Amino acid sequence: MTGARQDSCDVAVIGAGMAGMAAALFAADRGLSCIQIGSGGGILFASGLLDLLGVHPVDTHRPWLSPYAALAALARDEPDHPLARVDTDSIRAAFESFVAALGAAGLPYAPLDERNRSVLTALGTIKTTFGVPLSMFPGVAALQTRPPCLLVDFRGLREFSARQIAATLGDRWTGLRHQRIEFPGSESASELYAAHVARALETAETRARTIALVRPLLGDARAVGFPAVLGLARAREVHEAFAAGLGVPVFEIPTMPTSVPGLRLLQALETAVSVRGVRRRHQVRVRKLAFAAEGAAIDLDGVPGGERVYARAVVLATGRFSGRGLTADREQLRETILGLPVQQPNSRADWHQRDFLAPSGHAINRAGLRIDEAWRPLDAGGKPAWPQLFAVGSILAQQDWMRSKCGSGLAIATAWAAMNQVARALRGTAAI
Amino acid sequence: MSPAIFQTALYLSLALCALGLVWRVSAWFRLRIGPDAQALTLFERLAAVSRGTASALVSRSVFRVLAALVFDVLLQYRLFVQAKLRWFAHLLIVAGFTLLLLMHALAALLGDALFPGYQPTLAPYLFLRNLCGAMVFVGAALLLYARGRQQTDLAQTRRLSGAAFMALLGLVLASGFLLEAHKIASPQAFDRMAQQFAGTADSAALQALRALWASEFGVAFGDPNPAPDRLEQGRELHRNACASCHSVPSSAFVSYPLARVLGPASGLLDAGHAEIWLLYVHLFACFLGLASLPFTRFFHVLAGPLSLLVNSAAPERALPARSASPGSRAACRALALDACVRCGICDAHCSVAPLARYLGNPGLLPAHKLLATGALASGRLLRPDHENQALQAAEGAFLCTDCGRCTSVCPVGLDLEDLWQAGRGDLAAAGLPAPAQWVQARTAVAWADSLEAEAGPQSYSDLYAASAPLSADRSSFSRCVQCQTCTNVCPVVAHSMGSEHGVDLTPQKVMNLLRLGLRELTLGSRMVWDCASCYQCQEHCPESVRVADIMCELRALAVRRLGAVRPTREAA
Repeated sequence: MTGARQDSCDVAVIGAGMAGMAAALFAADRGLSCIQIGSGGGILFASGLLDLLGVHPVDTHRPWLSPYAALAALARDEPDHPLARVDTDSIRAAFESFVAALGAAGLPYAPLDERNRSVLTALGTIKTTFGVPLSMFPGVAALQTRPPCLLVDFRGLREFSARQIAATLGDRWTGLRHQRIEFPGSESASELYAAHVARALETAETRARTIALVRPLLGDARAVGFPAVLGLARAREVHEAFAAGLGVPVFEIPTMPTSVPGLRLLQALETAVSVRGVRRRHQVRVRKLAFAAEGAAIDLDGVPGGERVYARAVVLATGRFSGRGLTADREQLRETILGLPVQQPNSRADWHQRDFLAPSGHAINRAGLRIDEAWRPLDAGGKPAWPQLFAVGSILAQQDWMRSKCGSGLAIATAWAAMNQVARALRGTAAI
Repeated sequence: MSPAIFQTALYLSLALCALGLVWRVSAWFRLRIGPDAQALTLFERLAAVSRGTASALVSRSVFRVLAALVFDVLLQYRLFVQAKLRWFAHLLIVAGFTLLLLMHALAALLGDALFPGYQPTLAPYLFLRNLCGAMVFVGAALLLYARGRQQTDLAQTRRLSGAAFMALLGLVLASGFLLEAHKIASPQAFDRMAQQFAGTADSAALQALRALWASEFGVAFGDPNPAPDRLEQGRELHRNACASCHSVPSSAFVSYPLARVLGPASGLLDAGHAEIWLLYVHLFACFLGLASLPFTRFFHVLAGPLSLLVNSAAPERALPARSASPGSRAACRALALDACVRCGICDAHCSVAPLARYLGNPGLLPAHKLLATGALASGRLLRPDHENQALQAAEGAFLCTDCGRCTSVCPVGLDLEDLWQAGRGDLAAAGLPAPAQWVQARTAVAWADSLEAEAGPQSYSDLYAASAPLSADRSSFSRCVQCQTCTNVCPVVAHSMGSEHGVDLTPQKVMNLLRLGLRELTLGSRMVWDCASCYQCQEHCPESVRVADIMCELRALAVRRLGAVRPTREAA
């Protein structure tokens, strides 16, 4: 690597999805210098809602009003589930810390309490989740009390239909009306794109014209729902202006991914880690990760001339298949960076059940890395692969986050717990 | 030589030179370069130039012009900054040639008037004339050497007329030196002069004079070591008859050694009347040079200084061709064509030179663009047999980034940026617009149809695997999950949201067409051509698809594929 750039840090976080972002955030909060490697593309698919644990067990689809009660049941039934390895006080602290960081970065969330919330989706279904952005929060109350309510959509915005939501919910929510309006300035456009509408609403004039179009439609409505397009970087200002301009509570309804709330979340997390001094290596790939006694050497591709990062500890937050932490060939699943052993079904035939929609899910969705009590992935012999290598997030085995509705919870809680272990491990060693 | 032949040849070459000058100078008022020059009449242009000249000469800018005359014209400061060796060589040629012209060619007019008793055969003039000739010779050799060292893999803008003129200059120098050398060594010439100036002396004295000249003046009599008393006798006659016009020629450091070499053959040369034909060669080469001066690149000896002076008249740091009136601007551009010496310094600094090399199109380089601009203005570029040059010129003109380096390094201070801008306007008017313009004259579907009609529905994947590696390789876009992120962050899509002339496809749809194997449909798409290359799509793509890079590649591909099926020139 002669001539390549070099940099060094206490901890290198590989991965920039929810778990990687949380790990970088918590590393910085613990005073560790951190380099984060990877692009945050996966967060674009997020809805902005932060699940903790919504369903347990998955085969009965049982929803829980209290995520902490669900966690207790999970710990009892599946003690190897990564979330079951984190105590509830740590989970509370992790979420408070994460949400506070987002709020400081311009994406405020409703105060967390011990309950899960019900949120209306763009399909007219109800989603159970834990952390709700402030811009969506009035919708939680509206869904509960079901007052006369107006849902507004924009002609050309294909991913959101107010009429469909009203049709789905109409028999259970009698005061629910829907209206379609023409988005100001795009009368000749055949198709609208959510992010562009969101940016357009950040100009006061477009905002005022939109509000003026909606106000005559209010009628008896005591709340108004919009697709989640009310601003992007200045979403808070746009939301407040709509509430003030219409005189009733205004709420956003999360749209299909990739959505504006996903973009907001990505931007807020990027801001949060950047202001904490995390050095980000965007759009690069790890070519080689090698360990020595004093630390790891990580060779990066994608930087002109290449770069080598030296780290005293490494956190793998590379995710499963879409994050490319795991890959599947005709025979088996592999871990992509180090070739760590992946806990998986014995043969490919056992990856999936015969029934695609089987309630209990598929074995391949519980595959991943096995870890010790200090969040260190294990080698083939069942020993930590390297004393200073940790793993967090969805690459961990024994969990099916999509069906459990625990994606954000898994990312945030495991990042918190693992980063405590990283800090403890580094306390005894010298800086490089 | 008979005076009649000499005078006829002189006046003929002077007349040709004058006609040529009129023709070349009139081009500064005739050639229309740039859309703003098209409507101007000859009178308007003459008036504009006269006004501009007058106002420059009666204002404070006359001091700038004087400074430019000293530093830029006489001392060649701009060339000194860019290329020290060429500056030295150029200065040698200019100084040597000018002095030869004044003191040698025009000796009858100037030499005697300035230096009473001037004779080219007296010291120090013997030495000085050789020195001037040697300066020109060494300077020309150095220039050729510098030119050779500058060789690139791209074609250089050379013209036969330039080389011919250089050969003519060599001929003048060589024949001059040979003539002088022969006259030193020639017994015949000695006898003729002795007859004329010492005809009354007795034959013994003449013999003594011969012996003196043979031993000290290099005349080839074949008796180099006569007795000392004879030399004294000869010296006396020499003092009376010869010394007022002749010094010992050994200070002619080129001709004298040459005379010693020619000596053994001088009898033969005398018999063949070498003195006469060497003189003919020398004079006719000079006359030919004089007559052909306006028709070769050496016209720059007039156009270059003039261009430097004109440009210096503009206010500090302002580019004259832009601040002047349209008439002056038009004249400046036409003058620039003549002032350019094709030194190639602009080519060496050109930002897109690597691109020129990659595309194999020297039309991107400034020196070539300047020629093409002239050829377009004269109408030559649009002739059917120049179709290739026209296409090359069009590609070159529109790939220029207007970085302005060529203008800043030009040793004759040409405002090349202005020339390029004007040339692009002319190309567009001639039906050779920028690719973005001709591509968008049809819809993407129409282009795909004509591609299919022309070439059949065959696959080009293999053909373009090397030149379009991204769009030929499925793995570069097959990861696309159509999540719309690229579209969401695209400022071009955002801008076209409220516009009737919006993009036809979104970036994600372009990727989808590639996934479907319909690359031909993307080539003429507005999205591909309106892409601002801001890289937002590529930065945000959750699947790391190189969206912006692919767009760029599709444009390059479109220029080649669509360019092959379109008429060479769209109707203007």
